[in-house]
Amino acid sequence: VPGWAAIVLLALVALTLPACSGGEDKPSKANELLGAKVEPPYDKPYETLNDTSGKPYNIRTETEGKLTLFYIGYTHCPDICPLHMVELKRALAALPADTASRVTVVFVTADPERDTGEVLRSWLDHFNPAFVGLVPTRQELSEMLKHLGMNYPERTDIGNGNYTVSHAAYVIAFAKDNVAKYVYPSGITADDWVHDIPLLLKEGPKK
Amino acid sequence: MMVKAYARVAALLFPALLLAIAALVVASCGGDDDNSAAPTRPASTVAASTPAGTAGGLAIIGVSVRATTNDVSAAYFTVKNTGPADRLLKAVADVTANVQLHEVVTTGGTAKMQPVAGLDVPANGQLELKPGGYHVMLLDLKSPLKQGQTVKLELRFEKAGTITVMAPVTD
Repeated sequence: VPGWAAIVLLALVALTLPACSGGEDKPSKANELLGAKVEPPYDKPYETLNDTSGKPYNIRTETEGKLTLFYIGYTHCPDICPLHMVELKRALAALPADTASRVTVVFVTADPERDTGEVLRSWLDHFNPAFVGLVPTRQELSEMLKHLGMNYPERTDIGNGNYTVSHAAYVIAFAKDNVAKYVYPSGITADDWVHDIPLLLKEGPKK
Repeated sequence: MMVKAYARVAALLFPALLLAIAALVVASCGGDDDNSAAPTRPASTVAASTPAGTAGGLAIIGVSVRATTNDVSAAYFTVKNTGPADRLLKAVADVTANVQLHEVVTTGGTAKMQPVAGLDVPANGQLELKPGGYHVMLLDLKSPLKQGQTVKLELRFEKAGTITVMAPVTD
């Protein structure tokens, strides 16, 4: 039931909405990005970190020419991290394949002790096997965050050997020119990404 | 059994739901420039308004638990209150003995998650547990939670007592 129900609902909404949007409605904001503008922009990290299979992955060269959606989190995070991954998974599935193929999602763990390559891979595969997982050493993590101007993750003990890790709540969108002028805070949805990704793909060096 | 019952309820509700949405959409066309009522996610909005459990003036709506591949997850819901102020003191789950109430504090773009002793439910108001704010944290899960599963949650309130809800696991 839910499958066809959703289709009928969508069809119904699609049929009725155009009737509403005619006339003198608010001007369209179709070309405005929904992401939050950051000043100064972020520069894409130059670091080479181990990927989930233990192979060195240079963030700059491996993502060359791609829209790179970059996130620092951890897998024992029940709240913001999986939500970003779920929304990105849904967005990439909803976009045309030739648009989605120009996007790389990179997840760097801020908890390398628990997030081994294997743990991180299995967690990312739950969302999308194409999502890149990177496992830095503490030293590499510290240097990368320093270059980015971001806070070093702090642990909070929550008992029974468990701890939470503080981390940036937003996804950083590096355009093709390796510069990120926009970030995507928690609460951003797949629909927001579907709206912004094609626009973000236009950012970067002008031909 | 539970799933069957849900499916039947869904099938019964569905025609009504279509009508309700059609009415909403038409209403939003008819109004002057107020498009705020236009439903973007009609199905979930309607489903979420059916309480999963009630006690006193409290009603739990929109409860869900996130699917996970590891040993942590989070439960979200809204507590609607038509009575005096109350407080959520504790949550108990059938999938783990380690359940905590957590808040996420975001300062300057950095999110930090920490346990809290309880969560206030304002009089004639609501307490919302949602991503980026409060959640019930499920720790040390014996096995990962998969979509389609159901988690039994007992929510213990200071005044209203315990409300038991069945929370669907969703992606």
